[in-house]
Amino acid sequence: MTGHPSPEELEALSRGEALAEVEAHVAGCAACTRELAWLEAERALISRRPQPEVAHLWAGVAKRLEQPGQRPSADRGGRLRPHWARRLAVGAAAAASAAAVLLLTMPPKGGPNFSAPTESVAETDFDGPDAKTLAALDRAERDYRRAATVLETEYAAARNKLDPKLAKQWDESLAKARAQLGASRAVAAEDVNARMRVLDGYAGYVRSLRNVMEAEEANP
Amino acid sequence: MASAAERSGSDRELLLRAQAGDGEAFRVIFDREAPGVRRFLGDLLRDHAAADEATQETFVRAHLRLTTLKQPEKLQGWLFGIARMVFLEQLRRKRRDGPMPEDAEPMHVDRAPTPEAALLSGEADQVLDAALAALSEERRAALLMRLDHGLAYGEIAAAMGWTLQKVKNEIHRARLQLRERLAWYLEGAA
Repeated sequence: MTGHPSPEELEALSRGEALAEVEAHVAGCAACTRELAWLEAERALISRRPQPEVAHLWAGVAKRLEQPGQRPSADRGGRLRPHWARRLAVGAAAAASAAAVLLLTMPPKGGPNFSAPTESVAETDFDGPDAKTLAALDRAERDYRRAATVLETEYAAARNKLDPKLAKQWDESLAKARAQLGASRAVAAEDVNARMRVLDGYAGYVRSLRNVMEAEEANP
Repeated sequence: MASAAERSGSDRELLLRAQAGDGEAFRVIFDREAPGVRRFLGDLLRDHAAADEATQETFVRAHLRLTTLKQPEKLQGWLFGIARMVFLEQLRRKRRDGPMPEDAEPMHVDRAPTPEAALLSGEADQVLDAALAALSEERRAALLMRLDHGLAYGEIAAAMGWTLQKVKNEIHRARLQLRERLAWYLEGAA
């Protein structure tokens, strides 16, 4: 090594990273040995401080998130136009179709029949879906979420123009749909049939959001 | 223990779920990140009630802007950027009541501490606290992002709105200032 190691390299060494060349330099350099001793002392002092308790803070955050206007929005990216949202929704639908096609064309592995799941996965010697299937499902779900996020942003921006009573009804049904989706996804784990039902749920959710936006566009 | 790749995949999944309106996912993000954010704000504000309030404000703002975050691996730095803005607003209010102390030019400390000395007693915490308090808020913020929370220099630059060079300079000066204050204690204890 020519010259002293960079501060970043010395920091890495103080964190315990194996940097043979840096270590060799430090061993023969008084200035770097001193610097390393300081870095280690600082780390020791900082790391002994207790983590603060934060559990009690969540209630206040949750309460404020329930207030109107607290939904996530693309406030720095500018307002996305509905045609982008529709394009994303179409992309999500295409991804979901691809996942469905993949499932239908999967070679039989002695596992359950996806079209007629009459026995539970636990009762067979099925060794679980392959990585490709799960990746396709993940991709489809991700695309649906992305589409839903964009449409939710559109909805949040357009909500004030809706009839307050109607907006409230939409809020409630969308929140219910989101909660159901979250619950279904949580229990689905790697069960392919359950994951497909989650995708159906997403499709319905995205369609609902599109319906609201189209109604809003038709009656600005 | 989850590998970095697994953790990164799970972070992405979590963020996407939160962005899609999954409250449970946002709660997980809160549980994971709030201790660091609260400690950071506590170190800057040096007032428990104000730090609690600022932590809540940080997460409410984060939730509102969640869809603007595209890279899950930058979540921590992004949250610290919001926390810093919340802190600055409080700071501006405080400054109306009186000027804040400027940073002194630090001196080099030519002696090295012994690692054992840093851990000798609870007094060390108070000494560190006083040494941190002597730094200006901005310099302290940058140093703690690096030293306490392990943010990369680039992430600190984004959170602070500084150039990379300024981040490096400020952290270097902060370290020297800190050491100047700590030297007497660490050497005395050794």
